[in-house]
Amino acid sequence: MTAVEVGAELPSLTVTVRRDTLVRYAGASGDFNPIHYSDRMAVAIGLPGVIAHGMLTMAQAIRVVTDWLDDPADLLEYGVRFTKPVVVPDDDKGATVTFSAKVEKVADGKAEIDITAIADEQKVLGRAKAVVRVS
Amino acid sequence: MTIDATMVGRSYSAAAEPYQVGREKIREFAEAIGDPNPAYRGNDPIAPPTFAFVLSARALDLLLADPDLGLRLDRIVHGAQKFNYVRPIKAGDEVTATATITTVRKAGDVEVIMYETVLSTVDGEHLATSTATVSHNRPSSQNGESA
Repeated sequence: MTAVEVGAELPSLTVTVRRDTLVRYAGASGDFNPIHYSDRMAVAIGLPGVIAHGMLTMAQAIRVVTDWLDDPADLLEYGVRFTKPVVVPDDDKGATVTFSAKVEKVADGKAEIDITAIADEQKVLGRAKAVVRVS
Repeated sequence: MTIDATMVGRSYSAAAEPYQVGREKIREFAEAIGDPNPAYRGNDPIAPPTFAFVLSARALDLLLADPDLGLRLDRIVHGAQKFNYVRPIKAGDEVTATATITTVRKAGDVEVIMYETVLSTVDGEHLATSTATVSHNRPSSQNGESA
């Protein structure tokens, strides 16, 4: 099991999300909501354009924690709020999201970790928190 | 057709259609989220944490299709998501999902619905609980007594 101290910062992670990333996630997850592939449909409901699946951003964010854990099976709880959509332009560059995390509390063999997700200089997840088993 | 606190406690079970978790599906999902963790590969993989949401989808589909709720997918925004894990989901698990509405709040035309999905094996072993908050922006013409 992973050892840990309060205040420890976990190695950060930056990911690139392009349109093909969304197509692939749609297929693997079964979430075919058209706002994740059609600008026309995204704009129709008031979005600036195609946005990433919130569940994809959530999946990418927890990597900061599971990459750091000796065993991802030690994840006990994980929750987020989807505060801002990640807009994914139809180009080669895509969107860039950077995840960082910090240990907020350690007690009773568990650690609470706060995760931050930034895209375009704005937080895209709120109250992102994981609880993991530690030694 | 509207939604209110009397809907709290409504339950949607996809138990008739258990999801059999396969090794290659886990790998496909791990590739799709760009996660190279070796725990999600090989002969005896566990699933990435958010795969639990995929397993809850059959129960969610039943909730979304409930004519009494009258929800429209194009008016729903996923506001928050949480998972509590009992143990990791593994290849070979046969998983059933049951979703229960736990909270309904209204703010004008916007309905905030919280529902909890319990994931268990067909043998009754509790694997994880997913808690989701969604906002549904109901068209005004559809809303309430004047309609």
